[in-house]
Amino acid sequence: MQDYEVEFVERGDREARFLVRDITPAFANGIRRAMIADVPTFSVDELRVVENSSVMFDEQIGLRLGLVPLTTPVDEFEVGDTVTLSLDVQGPGREESTETVTAYSGDIVTSDPMVEPADENIPIIDLKPGQRLELEADAVLDRGREHAKHQGGVAVGYRHLQRVEVVGEKGEFEDDEPHILRGVIEEQEAAHASAGSGGEPRNGELVPTEAFDHDLTNRYPGKDLEVVDVPNAFVFHVETDGSLSVDELVTRAVDSLRGRAEELRDAVQL
Amino acid sequence: MMVPVRCFTCGNVVGEHWEEFKTRAKEGDEDPETVLDELGVERHCCRRMLVSHKDLVDIVAPYQ
Amino acid sequence: MSYKCSRCKRDVELDEYGGVRCPYCGHRVLLKERSRDIKDVDVE
Repeated sequence: MQDYEVEFVERGDREARFLVRDITPAFANGIRRAMIADVPTFSVDELRVVENSSVMFDEQIGLRLGLVPLTTPVDEFEVGDTVTLSLDVQGPGREESTETVTAYSGDIVTSDPMVEPADENIPIIDLKPGQRLELEADAVLDRGREHAKHQGGVAVGYRHLQRVEVVGEKGEFEDDEPHILRGVIEEQEAAHASAGSGGEPRNGELVPTEAFDHDLTNRYPGKDLEVVDVPNAFVFHVETDGSLSVDELVTRAVDSLRGRAEELRDAVQL
Repeated sequence: MMVPVRCFTCGNVVGEHWEEFKTRAKEGDEDPETVLDELGVERHCCRRMLVSHKDLVDIVAPYQ
Repeated sequence: MSYKCSRCKRDVELDEYGGVRCPYCGHRVLLKERSRDIKDVDVE
């Protein structure tokens, strides 16, 4: 099996940017699509409403609960498995001074501590005195291609890595128009770059364009530039909704892609 | 009504940040731009979710 | 069917002869109460 070079530009739990070299555009897109549609996450899929005297309909509450991201442990569950959650919140009593009590995603009680709301401060519904919401919900593990609420990745995409080359000096009377560029650049003629806030320039270094406010004239003042896409090098931007970490999302997406490639190979083998 | 749980366009969870955004920028006197930056709500699709939202539960409550 | 009179707030049982009218105060606006059953909702 072929190895690929992966280099992180930015790495966090829920957001990351990384460069992958020597992959075809088709493969890059395959990974992107697998991250969106193929990695299963838990999401509320069915409710049993015991009492709902709030101002919203049961279906509206259900829709909001479905969108709350739930943590999904790797390799513990299979697609179609369910976990039961419950929510029971009451409006303020007579002796309380507050006017409303808000039911938050953090009030959801889970029967399995591995599957719980990833964010605790999402308001579900405000309750006035005398109002009450009591329900039981089944969270189901399913894929993004079944319903968008099962997508683990948010705003997943990629761009070509771009190489900036200095081809000469800018003419004395040329306009100093901004040269806007977004993404990540690979510095080729670092000797001509000015550090700015983007760190000391070195050849071959990866610089996100935010470092110089997306304007190449800040980084290379007075230079005539040529920007080219580096062939077969892609910078991925991955964010998750909290149900998985970026690492889990990407590795599971690649695993699912490999699984399908192996299935195809076995199927067409003579 | 209530704040949307997620951004309509990209699916990022924005409901999480509503309460803090409300106390700091809508009721407080902080600049919404800096509050959103600090909350990590970066894209303009997610930002409009919070900036343009109005809680209506108090207004419809008497009718139920 | 259980209803509630919108004026006197009392529970009202409707039969087919009495017409739509509260037997206690004669008010003609009745509100249907939510059933006490547990309701299944499919989240789509």
